[in-house]
Amino acid sequence: MHAVVMESLEEYLSGTLKPAALRDIEAHLSSCAACRDEVAGMQEISALFREMAPQETIQPVPGFYNRVMRQVGGRRAAPAFASLFSLDLAFGRRVVFASLLVLAALGGYLVSRESEFPGGPSPDVVMAQQESPSFEGAPAHEAMLATMTSYEP
Amino acid sequence: MGSLSGVLPLPFGSKVAQKTRVDYQNTTEGALVQRAQAGDEAAFREIVDRYQNKVFSIIHGIVRQRNDVEDIAQQVFAKVYLSLKSFDFRSSLITWIYKITVNECFDYLRKRKVRKLVYESDMSEDEVRRVENSEPSVARQAPMDDTLARRDYVVKLLTRVSEEERHLLMLKEVEGFSVEELAEKTGMNENTIKVKLFRARQKLVKAAQRLERSPGLVTG
Repeated sequence: MHAVVMESLEEYLSGTLKPAALRDIEAHLSSCAACRDEVAGMQEISALFREMAPQETIQPVPGFYNRVMRQVGGRRAAPAFASLFSLDLAFGRRVVFASLLVLAALGGYLVSRESEFPGGPSPDVVMAQQESPSFEGAPAHEAMLATMTSYEP
Repeated sequence: MGSLSGVLPLPFGSKVAQKTRVDYQNTTEGALVQRAQAGDEAAFREIVDRYQNKVFSIIHGIVRQRNDVEDIAQQVFAKVYLSLKSFDFRSSLITWIYKITVNECFDYLRKRKVRKLVYESDMSEDEVRRVENSEPSVARQAPMDDTLARRDYVVKLLTRVSEEERHLLMLKEVEGFSVEELAEKTGMNENTIKVKLFRARQKLVKAAQRLERSPGLVTG
């Protein structure tokens, strides 16, 4: 939109522009299609706003103030869970900071556990653990059976 | 205007005189607000008495649902009461209350739309079709309903701009304030108001073009 229109757009749309400025704008609009289209769109929408103007007066029913104060009381009595955080930003920040600390500690613990078996125990080690006899001279499962049969309550 | 004029080369300012800001704190209304801020219930009651008719009119102009006007007005004044301490006298009290009222209305319309969507999602396709057919279409309705359709359309367009832009447009277009009066009421300078209104109007035109391209959105 060109400066000559932009300068006085609000007054032009509300019909309060002085005759000299109005002549300038209209002379420009008659020769500039881009400005003409844009202003026409704005005028169309501006006219729609008339529908939002109050068309009848609605009087509050007596006792309105008391009902407002009941609303106030209700809002004070039952603060929403989310508002606990919004009311006290410092508290919210502390909760977030504490959560991050816990996450960092947990992460550190898991990493240190992983480093005991870099890349995990090798298949040979696993096999050796499973096959290592816990009872001398017999495979593990046989030793277990022997233990169970000899069990006396 | 600072960065705004840097981004958008506007000629505003060449003819606009800069006004001294109104000191809203040192007025009779400012004294009333300060009493209410200090916990004086009588002062708050006076604020409600002074502005309740105005708030009711604004709400009715936007939502047009008589039955819901009082509920929304209660929410507005409850919000005014609970946040009055944060009112910093940068604008007039009614401008601040106006802003809260417009926001509350659009919040109400948004919730009503969500409720409608949830309600329709619980219905079968046949039921939705039956309800839609039982609602009179815009074309078949009396002129009064045509007015309502236009109001719904402008409300829909206004959901496409920011809260501040909506507030300024409403004050300019519905309340009929001049740029000079807006500057006085909001505490912003006239150039800033002109830039903000210009951008808001451009957004509305673009939103209207988008809605025209996809007509389904107009009724949605």
